[in-house]
Amino acid sequence: MIVSLDWLRDYVALTMPSAELADRFALSGLNFESASDEAIDLEVTSNRPDCLGHIGVAREVGVLYDLPICIPAAEVAAKGPKIETLTSVTIEAPELCPRYTARLIRGVKIGPSPAWLADRLRTLGIAVINNVVDVTNYVMFECGQPLHAFDFAKLAGGKIIVRASKPGEKFTAINHQEYELAAGTCVIADAEKPVAVAGVMGGEHSEVTAATVDVLLESAAFEPLSVRTTARRHHLHSPSSYRFERGVDVSALDWASRRACELILQLAGGTLAAGSVDVGAAKSQAAREVVKLRWAQLPRVLGIDVPVETVQKILTALGCEETHICDHCIKVLPPSWRADLTREIDLIEEVARIYGYDQIPEDSNVKMAASTRTRLDRVLDRVRAMLVAAGFDEAMTLSAVDETLVDAIQPWSDEAPLRASTAVLRRADCLRQTLVPSLLTARRHNEKLSNPTIELFEIANVYLPIAGEIPQQKRLLAITSGGGFLELKGILEALVARIAPSQDLQVGEVDYPLLDDARQCRLRLGEHTLGYLGELSKAGRERFELRGGSTVAEIDVELLIAAAELAPTATPLSQYPPVGRDVNIVVNESIRWAEVERLVSEAGGELIESIQFQETYRDAQRLGAGKKSLLFTLQLRSATATLTNEEADGVRERIVTILAQQVGGELRA
Amino acid sequence: MALADFVADLDALADAAQQAFASVADAAALEEARVEYTGAKAGKLKAAQQGLGKVDKADKPAAGKKFNEVKTAVEAALEAAQQRLAGSAKTQAREAFDPTLPGRPFRLGHLHPVTQTIADMKDIMGRLGFTAVEGPEIEDEWHNFEALNIPAIHPARDPLDNFYLATATTLAPGSSNRGPSPAKGPAAAAREEKPLLLRSQTSTVQIRVMESTPPPVRIISLGRVYRPDTADATHYPMFHQIEGLLIDRGVTMADLKSVLRLFCQSYFGKDEVHIRFRPSFFPFTEPSVEVDMNWQGGWMEMGGAGMVDPNVLRAVGYDPEEVTGFAFGLGVERVCMRQHGITDIRALYENDVRFLSQF
Repeated sequence: MIVSLDWLRDYVALTMPSAELADRFALSGLNFESASDEAIDLEVTSNRPDCLGHIGVAREVGVLYDLPICIPAAEVAAKGPKIETLTSVTIEAPELCPRYTARLIRGVKIGPSPAWLADRLRTLGIAVINNVVDVTNYVMFECGQPLHAFDFAKLAGGKIIVRASKPGEKFTAINHQEYELAAGTCVIADAEKPVAVAGVMGGEHSEVTAATVDVLLESAAFEPLSVRTTARRHHLHSPSSYRFERGVDVSALDWASRRACELILQLAGGTLAAGSVDVGAAKSQAAREVVKLRWAQLPRVLGIDVPVETVQKILTALGCEETHICDHCIKVLPPSWRADLTREIDLIEEVARIYGYDQIPEDSNVKMAASTRTRLDRVLDRVRAMLVAAGFDEAMTLSAVDETLVDAIQPWSDEAPLRASTAVLRRADCLRQTLVPSLLTARRHNEKLSNPTIELFEIANVYLPIAGEIPQQKRLLAITSGGGFLELKGILEALVARIAPSQDLQVGEVDYPLLDDARQCRLRLGEHTLGYLGELSKAGRERFELRGGSTVAEIDVELLIAAAELAPTATPLSQYPPVGRDVNIVVNESIRWAEVERLVSEAGGELIESIQFQETYRDAQRLGAGKKSLLFTLQLRSATATLTNEEADGVRERIVTILAQQVGGELRA
Repeated sequence: MALADFVADLDALADAAQQAFASVADAAALEEARVEYTGAKAGKLKAAQQGLGKVDKADKPAAGKKFNEVKTAVEAALEAAQQRLAGSAKTQAREAFDPTLPGRPFRLGHLHPVTQTIADMKDIMGRLGFTAVEGPEIEDEWHNFEALNIPAIHPARDPLDNFYLATATTLAPGSSNRGPSPAKGPAAAAREEKPLLLRSQTSTVQIRVMESTPPPVRIISLGRVYRPDTADATHYPMFHQIEGLLIDRGVTMADLKSVLRLFCQSYFGKDEVHIRFRPSFFPFTEPSVEVDMNWQGGWMEMGGAGMVDPNVLRAVGYDPEEVTGFAFGLGVERVCMRQHGITDIRALYENDVRFLSQF
């Protein structure tokens, strides 16, 4: 809302420089975007439509500077016949139009506006049209009430009907565009057709032109939500719709109408018909309820006492009518232009705002309280610290993805993804169910930038639909690495060891086309699926236009959190020296290391401190086709004595025997 | 042998030995010279010592003195040569190792700057007694709007200002006129077909906590929020918010100002921190204020705050006559960008590793 200072002076005697006034406004609720000597551009919050006119802003100045306000009386001489004999207004849609008033001026002479008026509109950036249209705009920016002037001769039947539009009804607006109105749109119609979209835009057919002689002036209230919906639907935002959306003062409809007539008569001549048409259910101020403010509530909410006289003075200056005062409370009837003042807390805010928030101290004794770091935060901190130490950068990608990414991999849900009704960014309207495609997209972006090392992880939510309910939100950790399967697996093993040292990361089978046929696996923690790991397949690389390979993994963080051992128990350490033994065993290709390790561990019993895999060796000539040798090192240690060589050899022999029996393992010479 | 001859021989020996030691270039030559002059069996010094016996008896004290002088000088020359050669070995070794070479590359990853900002904020608010909580990013209208005193007619409810979900409901967005009636609690409401949306604020989490916890409540809620802004240098349709909430008996606006001052003091590590409130409007707080802190001679906008609106307290089943509370919200990206001199918010979500590795 641009406020012309020259205009403001009509209502209040401004003595302060504009910069000072702007600062004072900012500290009392009207933030300014810019201020010059001629005008201040004020940011008016949606609860204060009263400040969308110069008079409302003048009232604020009056309250802040304790200055009297002078508002024109808008008395007009009606010399014409009674308006009822000339026209009528019918509200057929009371839910869309709570009140409608009309006045009629006949015999106007359309012409240019005088300089004083045109200049004021231009200061506000409003186009100057002709004396009648300019007056309607002027009065809107004076008091905040939008008005509309119709060329009375163009109204079929010479009457106004406020109704909901019919299905498929068309309307040509003053911008010469034709709109097909949605059924139920509030329209102002004559006996035949819509002549204006209520509160949003006038019609081309009935607009006031140089040929206009008789003018019907509308001053009405329309349902805010309806005006907003219509303005949005047709992209017809205007100063008028802006004000109707925020609600107008129904008690001031008549003043605005009289004021406009006063100016039209003054600038364009003509004769005003006697009286006005005033229809609609909404009644004026009388219906308003008094609001009580208990004295004790001021310190209870604000933390400071405000003297009774100050409170009285502030509320009265704001236009409230005091109806009661005692030791306990004050009761006031708020002014009609402040529809936002209905509750005790509203009055407390008004008092605080005018009294000044700088009166509130910033060194109160806030109670101490213990806070706890959640298990979630503690685990996530460890996960992040571990991954950063392993050389990964943390990425953050958008929660929605393009439709084309949805079927890249669907590890967590087979359901169609939830969609936002408008794309969150570009074409991304699908709420993602996995983080991996987003990370691979980030990987491609980095490849295109020729960044040599791309090691990324992200911790974020995915959204899995549940019919009829708020979707399941699952927190995942995803990784994309330039390293191979075993390198990333090593990192994940270290991660599990860091978070849940007594758990083992195990693998199972899985089959995702995004990943290499062989180099992929399901990750398990106990009985639960923790996630998956795999190198991208050729198809996967092509799908994401990646030149280099990548290994990806995705992990259900909630499982890690549940399994986390945040305070592990110390185990006593053996005082005796360890003994090492190497084993080199030849088995069939199909034998998996995990199986060998399990057998070794069972056979070795508690003397085994660690089983360290060394290498796999293949040589068709020496070992035979379809065979491989597994070399591993045992570290043996007893908690109670120094192990002898014989004991260590015994363990090794037991292991070799079991491996021979269970997996056909042969000791390699 | 005449004393003079003996002395002359010794002088010659000393000269030769000193010259020899001074000119040796490596350990082998030094050893050769050492054996030649000071060798225990056949060294020239040993031979000269034997010559001492042939000197006249009367001259023996003088000859002995002279011999000792020469022996000391030769040994000193030997030692000097040894030191000289040892020194050059050290020099060679030093030359052969270049400590200015780069260390073996060790790749340390980097936390996202937004994560770091959130961690700092959580840490400080934790010390001020606020526990961090999170909640769903996809919300119903009750938690995102109605419980927050944002009625259906409020402009913030406009479908174009929110990411409503298209598939979650058959109702047109915004068509619900259900008021927060006490008979229909959120649990009952959840069973109805109703619009869902990506939350536009983390206050939703505060509602969820208050619905399930009796006062006092002292939390910060944080996470991703979504608003349909066109992406540019200062806007992104997804960003992070951190919101504080304190509900208890006797909580006042002075407490709000004081907590915010302590927070800013901790976060920015400044001594002289002051907080300024400017009146504002948010449906879920009243009074509502914009929060500024003093910064480089002026004021810097920090976020929005206010006293929790009695309607919000009632919506979650609290009695506004029993408890009061304050709430505040800060945009994480804005603080993060200012802290690190980041000028384009989109850089935070582009994930260029060159960018990420700066933090």
